[in-house]
Amino acid sequence: MGQAVRERPTFRPTRALVVVWVAAAAGFGLLLAVARTSQGPLDDPDPAWQRPGFLDAGDLPVPAPPGLAVRGRTTVVFFVRSDGGSELCQALEAGRLAEKAAAAVVVADRTPGACAAAAVVADADGAVADSYGMRRPRGGGPPVGYAVVDAAGAIRYRTLDPGVAGRLGEVRTIAAALP
Amino acid sequence: MTAPAAAAERAALRVCLWCAAAAAAEVGVYVSYRGHDARFHWFTHFFVGSSLALIVMAAVAARTRRPVPLPLVWPFLAHLVAMFPDFLFTAGIAHERWMDVFLGHISSHFVPGRNLTWFTTFLAALAAYLIALARMPHARAR
Repeated sequence: MGQAVRERPTFRPTRALVVVWVAAAAGFGLLLAVARTSQGPLDDPDPAWQRPGFLDAGDLPVPAPPGLAVRGRTTVVFFVRSDGGSELCQALEAGRLAEKAAAAVVVADRTPGACAAAAVVADADGAVADSYGMRRPRGGGPPVGYAVVDAAGAIRYRTLDPGVAGRLGEVRTIAAALP
Repeated sequence: MTAPAAAAERAALRVCLWCAAAAAAEVGVYVSYRGHDARFHWFTHFFVGSSLALIVMAAVAARTRRPVPLPLVWPFLAHLVAMFPDFLFTAGIAHERWMDVFLGHISSHFVPGRNLTWFTTFLAALAAYLIALARMPHARAR
């Protein structure tokens, strides 16, 4: 008796909740915009198709064009520009991809150079990249990424990946998913 | 400072601490995307997981007529469920289509409108939860 009724801190719905909603909309909207603008010219225009992480996305599998893929073995066909070829080659020599797959490097240049860890071919006009159905980067020009061909000669995975030389572990994960 | 004002200040501080902890946890999740592209994948799974959590939270709050306890933990846990295959990917296990059981982990990336669609869904779910809160009594006597 005589005790004052203590009210808990008042919850003021309309104003406070609208502030929360607007702050969330503005904050996450800003983060989304920043993420969008941070995409580079070599990235896929549609990020859903870049490094999806699973086999047989979209219209895959489709037969690989003859010439590069090693029959009876998984083959990773890398697509690079001339300035990225040596970095990828060093990574291939230092990495463990060879345990899972053979490798070939397609250089969008007239002078492909040499690589001890992979067969190298020149693709100045982009015909090889087109025959593998590689997507075009946001900034145009030849693709930088890779396609994975299974032992039966079917393309099971393909993606743009401007940083592929530093992510061969991910390529190995995809190659290991194939029987 | 009056007792109600001090209590309100303590409550605000508690909310700030929870927000800071949730933000730190989400930054940690973002950084964990070594095997995937955080710029795109983090947003998708965050929006999907959070949206589902907020819808469940709205339903629970409307039914019990009380705010749910630990409101920032629900979206975070749902986010972890949605991105679980990415932990597997980092461990060397590629995605497979059955992983859609983790809140549409595979197919959620391919909805029309991509992350903008999920962002809109998230805002709608957040609005639903906030409306559920707004319909509660403004103050309670102890």
